[in-house]
Amino acid sequence: MNEFVATVVRGLGNGSIYALLALGFVIIYKSMRVISFAQPAFMMAGGVLVSHLVLSMNFFLAVLISLLLTALLGAGVERVALRPMIGKPVFVIAIITLGVDIVIRTVVNSFIGLDIRQMGDPWGLKQLKLLGVTIDQRHLATLVTTLVVVAALFAFYRWSRTGLAMRAASSDQEVALAQGVSVGRVFSLSWALAAMLAGLAGVFLSTGIGLEQNLWLTALKALPVIILGGLDSLGGAVIAGLTIGVVEALVGNYGGNLSPVFGGDFFLVVPYLLMLLVLLVKPYGLFGTREVERI
Amino acid sequence: MYRSRRMVAVGLVAAVLAVAGCRSDAPETQQGSEGVKFDVGVTKEPCPAAVDKAKGCIYLGSISDLTEGPFKALGVPITESQKAFWKRVNTAGGIGGYEVDVSKYTKDNKYNPQIHNEVYSEIKPDVLGLAQTLGSPTTAAILADLKSSNMIGVPASWTSAWAFEDVILESGTNYCFESMNSVDFGAETLQAKSVAAVHFPGDYGDDAAAGTKIAAEANGMKFTDIPTAPGQENQGAAIQKLVEAKPDLVILTTGPTEAATIVGGSAQAGFKGQFIGTSPTWNPALLKSPAAPALTALYRQSGPWAPYGTETAGHKALGESLDQAMFKAAPNDGYTAGWVWSYPLKAALQKAVDSKDLTRAGLLAAVKSLEKVDYEGMLPAEAGRFGGEPNERVFRQSIISKVDPTAPTGVKVEKDFFTGKTAAKHEFSKPCYQ
Repeated sequence: MNEFVATVVRGLGNGSIYALLALGFVIIYKSMRVISFAQPAFMMAGGVLVSHLVLSMNFFLAVLISLLLTALLGAGVERVALRPMIGKPVFVIAIITLGVDIVIRTVVNSFIGLDIRQMGDPWGLKQLKLLGVTIDQRHLATLVTTLVVVAALFAFYRWSRTGLAMRAASSDQEVALAQGVSVGRVFSLSWALAAMLAGLAGVFLSTGIGLEQNLWLTALKALPVIILGGLDSLGGAVIAGLTIGVVEALVGNYGGNLSPVFGGDFFLVVPYLLMLLVLLVKPYGLFGTREVERI
Repeated sequence: MYRSRRMVAVGLVAAVLAVAGCRSDAPETQQGSEGVKFDVGVTKEPCPAAVDKAKGCIYLGSISDLTEGPFKALGVPITESQKAFWKRVNTAGGIGGYEVDVSKYTKDNKYNPQIHNEVYSEIKPDVLGLAQTLGSPTTAAILADLKSSNMIGVPASWTSAWAFEDVILESGTNYCFESMNSVDFGAETLQAKSVAAVHFPGDYGDDAAAGTKIAAEANGMKFTDIPTAPGQENQGAAIQKLVEAKPDLVILTTGPTEAATIVGGSAQAGFKGQFIGTSPTWNPALLKSPAAPALTALYRQSGPWAPYGTETAGHKALGESLDQAMFKAAPNDGYTAGWVWSYPLKAALQKAVDSKDLTRAGLLAAVKSLEKVDYEGMLPAEAGRFGGEPNERVFRQSIISKVDPTAPTGVKVEKDFFTGKTAAKHEFSKPCYQ
């Protein structure tokens, strides 16, 4: 039983990272109706900034500054590369985000270098016993931080004027404009928030052993998450992220012989199988909004 | 009537194209200085960075992971080290009337077999052979063409399949024999009674796992197979399985961050077994990670040769030839590997020039006739045997190193070249993982 609980907590830890990444995808999609492929780059940027800042300051202060800088980077990218593209087909904009990802990652890689950069986090590989279950401190820290951030994000969307403006713009941009909402500002803020969340995911992903250039591949796991949860559902992104993390961990631990073809790697395929199943039953994801078309 | 004329015309055009194609594929043999004949990748003109402008140039290609692939941390130092190796050869007088260039046709494969194939096709008409072809799946993508072109390639990988390919000029033992030796070492020195292989899928990890299993059976040890996927976040299941199985010894064939996650995570969970990882599992930067205490206590590294800084003439020459600022910025045994891999190619080129045949076929014949190579002490000379059956010629010795934070690359030799009893007896009739 203890082993099962430990596996679930590990899954929740990894799932929190997927959820943070997926939230960024959803925020941008809700505001611009575009899937941004630049999330891996922001994730790496957040991580690499902390790995440099931590050399001269406290870890938590480094994370705070790194997230602010990553948010600025996100807003800057939106203003320079995306804003001029408004009105162009979403496919074109999505491809531009792919280019942005490559450019930023190339720059970030030069700051990572060939080796593994340390984050200086307080958790490392330390474990703790909670109700008889041994769990990694970093997984617990990731989960708790994600829950706090998600709660703050939901509160921001629900109760702040800016959050209300973002919801209005996401619902109908023209009506929002008519009501005095600055849609351009909403776009900027969406990109800043998405970049910040990805940066936070990068920080937690790099705790433990450290940050290396190939870590960006993990960000791609957010893609089945957003399909599963629904492209425009913030709650869906969180639930789907945590679900995929847990299912992945459970299959990795107990499902080694489930597939003779994939063997021990079957858990890597599971998120995509889940995605496929959900697409067959609910094409807009578990919590996505069904598109209503006038016939 | 018209139809038959048209058929004749089409046939003629096809025949002309076929002949033209054949002509471009069959390079003209020329005669160089001192009566040496050559065809592709050799010029009478000097190399772009020639030491002696009176000498001709042998162009060798290099296809490595240089920018964004998963083995960039190895590809870059291997490539730099090989440039230093051939610069030293050129400064010492070159190969007969020729110097060697490994810079002009250096290409990035991004560890992608398709890109590897593309850049290979691009440089193929201009190079005599490949001083480096990094990766097993990438090299497999060009293997058929290497064979049909009689073109030699020096692999930057240690899979046991290379011993069965004439055109592949590998050095040192492969993952399979290396793992057999590690298990024998574990049984004899660490009194291990059970062993687990934690490995990536594919010919890197599977080759080592196969060697581990063979040695486990030979030693009567309990064997547990734990395949795992790349990525730090994917190692939780492997750790849990290790903690459950409690083997006395673990043979690791993963990347460095995965290895550190597994060693550090298992140690945190109370695992007391010892780990021996193949050379790609190590990166000295891990000694700055939270896994450092666990690595220092539980980890050893197996390797086909001794790490950077060991006292041999070859290691000394490597240290003197490298830009020390570059090495110290990111110390890595990729430098050692790139250097060692170049010795048999140098010996083969020298033999081909001595035989007055520097064509691709001539170089291949020279490789097959090599019985010994002077590795300047980095490997025993008999490791440079490339003629005969794989079972007779395969080099079975490896070394074991222990973590030493004061060593240049964080590891120091604990047990010098040895062949375990399993590796000595193993009938090597096919690649271990097949």
